[in-house]
Amino acid sequence: MSTKNTLLIAAACAVAVAAGAGIYLLRPGAGAGGGAGDSPVIGAQPAAPNEAVPAGIQLTDLDGKAYTLDDFKGKLVIVNFWATWCTPCLHEIPVLSAMQTRYGAKGFQLVGPAVDDLEEVKRAAPGLKFTYPVAVGEPEDMLDLMSKLGNDQGGLPFSVVIGPDGKVLERQLGEYSEVELVALIEKHLPK
Amino acid sequence: MNRLRSLLLPLSGLALALMASAPAAALDFGRKVNGADDLLSADQAFKLVSAIRSADGIHLNWAIEPGYYLYRQRFHVEPVVVGEGAGAAALAALKLPKGESKHDEHFGDVEIYKTQVEAVLPLARGAAAPTQLKVRWQGCAEAGVCYPPVTRVVDVIAAP
Repeated sequence: MSTKNTLLIAAACAVAVAAGAGIYLLRPGAGAGGGAGDSPVIGAQPAAPNEAVPAGIQLTDLDGKAYTLDDFKGKLVIVNFWATWCTPCLHEIPVLSAMQTRYGAKGFQLVGPAVDDLEEVKRAAPGLKFTYPVAVGEPEDMLDLMSKLGNDQGGLPFSVVIGPDGKVLERQLGEYSEVELVALIEKHLPK
Repeated sequence: MNRLRSLLLPLSGLALALMASAPAAALDFGRKVNGADDLLSADQAFKLVSAIRSADGIHLNWAIEPGYYLYRQRFHVEPVVVGEGAGAAALAALKLPKGESKHDEHFGDVEIYKTQVEAVLPLARGAAAPTQLKVRWQGCAEAGVCYPPVTRVVDVIAAP
């Protein structure tokens, strides 16, 4: 191989590396605050070991009755944020309701805070046939609550799984499947 | 020379692998090696890139990242600062192009926009235009996550 050929190969490699790096750096989400390491991830993410739920989370149900997450201490809890404008949320709710029916007596509790206007929630709730309490409030307050529980960018559905000991087990951005929920619940139900 | 060649060939392969993998990452909005997807924020996924006043109205342009879409039915525009005689503009309906048809199991037949969309707020001839607009839009990621409606106040810029 001639020196000229070697130089050509080296130059082609350099261009290819630069092009690859450029495309990678220019991909959506790259850059300040949007890199792969910073972006929320779709799917289940385990919580840090012994991560406690923030204290003093107050909720209000559709009838205006106040309750807190502490009311469910000792149970396996899934807090599932949803909204009427969110198709994957509406698709997931019947599966969640079935889980509440199936495992409620065994120490499982779902809670459904709505990131939505109260009137929209009241209009939609009867048709969704919830088997668990919905929580309502100003959408901005619900976004704040969701942020406190680990979702800063507001994507829905979003679930936080809390063990019977009050520690966060995992977070899920996007829908759970029925198979995933059964496995998760049966693994963590109170003994 | 043979030694140099033996060093360059693996480097060349690495470069080709980078070229092959990087575009895939770009098209697949950052799919990680472990299979989980990185999700853009609503502001990253849907960018209102311009609000320009021209003779026929105010043109609003959004850039939409691959893998994300906006609902046609969920755009809303209202004036924030209204110039003299611009009341009619405030009442004009936002004109949106036909979107891609999508059947939604909960919302029925809807239209969505991918890649980009331009909406026009018509202005009556000679009417003063709003100098600021409050604009709302809402969309989802195809990966199965939806975003709360985004509301922004934008300055309207005169066309050059």
